[in-house]
Amino acid sequence: MKTAYCFDLDGTVTRDEILPVLSRHIGLYDEIEALTQATINGYIPFNSSFKLRVRLLSEIPISTVRDIIARVPLYKKTSQFIQEHKDQCFLITGNLDCWIQGLVDKLGLRAFTSISKREGDKLLGIEKILNKGDAVDAIRAMGFEKIVAVGDGMGDVPMFERADVGIAYSGVHSPVRTLKELSNFIVFNEEALCRTLNTL
Amino acid sequence: MQNVKHAVIACAGYGSRLGLNIPKCMVKVNERTLLGYLLELTKDIDDVRVVVGFEEDSVIEEVRRFNPNAVIVRNPNYRTTSIGYSYHLATRDLAEPFLIIDGDLAIHKDDFAAFLAAIKPNESLLAVAKAQSEDAVFAKIENSEVVEISRTAKSDYEWANIAYLSGIKIGDTSRFIFNDLAAALPIKSKELRCFDVDTSDDLSQMLHNFDSLGYEEEK
Repeated sequence: MKTAYCFDLDGTVTRDEILPVLSRHIGLYDEIEALTQATINGYIPFNSSFKLRVRLLSEIPISTVRDIIARVPLYKKTSQFIQEHKDQCFLITGNLDCWIQGLVDKLGLRAFTSISKREGDKLLGIEKILNKGDAVDAIRAMGFEKIVAVGDGMGDVPMFERADVGIAYSGVHSPVRTLKELSNFIVFNEEALCRTLNTL
Repeated sequence: MQNVKHAVIACAGYGSRLGLNIPKCMVKVNERTLLGYLLELTKDIDDVRVVVGFEEDSVIEEVRRFNPNAVIVRNPNYRTTSIGYSYHLATRDLAEPFLIIDGDLAIHKDDFAAFLAAIKPNESLLAVAKAQSEDAVFAKIENSEVVEISRTAKSDYEWANIAYLSGIKIGDTSRFIFNDLAAALPIKSKELRCFDVDTSDDLSQMLHNFDSLGYEEEK
């Protein structure tokens, strides 16, 4: 059976959430953290919160953001699993194409992201926010028969709904309740994650 | 070196016959839950999977506390499915043999270590105990092999709800595991001392005898 592994980015592949790291860079940590927490807890829909956070961060040149993201620490074993199964692994993230390109290149996998509007090194806004469920459909259309999704947040719910197996990652923070209730497995660290992925 | 790669502890059920309104694996003895003892016993096994259902949050936290390397397997249909389905969910993707353990057991510490040591990677092994439970599944033993397993054919031994299964798959329609085992007999057996807590009488018996299970130094 041809299996695809779909990974959320923030807190699943990266050890730290990316937007808070960026927000420190422009001194808006508290503001953006409040938005992030409200989103994690399900008080603000991901799309609205993400648009607002991107708006606040859009004053940073794209190339600077890309450099910062490329230095965000990754889970070592998870990255290793991805690199060993490049043809079967996909990054499924609401984050922006232009921001994470360096990271995608480094990991060497295919990615589904939100699409940005830009002019040179200046971010103008968001063209389209990714629906993670659509990404799963597109991957299935490539001929994968079993789709395994790994994530921790509300944005991952559509991905879990359409995947065959859902693994809720309880690393940086506990998975949101809705996602947990859609999951088949829950893991607390990357070792357990990779061990489980290797059996699927 | 541990020769068992996968172990599954089934903790999804709601223990209707005990009626404590907590998962049976969360029954405490000397300040520690039965699940806590089981996770300690299985700590050297690479892949420990705990199936959760009833009151899953409390069980998940207990697993995280005792073995954060373990994997949680969710059985959201625990109310309408049997323990066989829980084991099916946890093992259906495994290509290698695995150990199954009911989550409501208090097992003799040294006996469990001896059971693990007796396991040969490609040979199933059933744990048996002197028949004592109210609702025993009897195991007839000849030359240390279980040759018959049944609720009605009484014998001196019962299946201890612990088994190492090689080449035996648990299907999604499985109701009672012993039916799957019965189809694969004869299977080698090893005796151990343990108590399960299906009923309040079982619970009293387990609590009364817990000191005989070799955990004294951990009080």
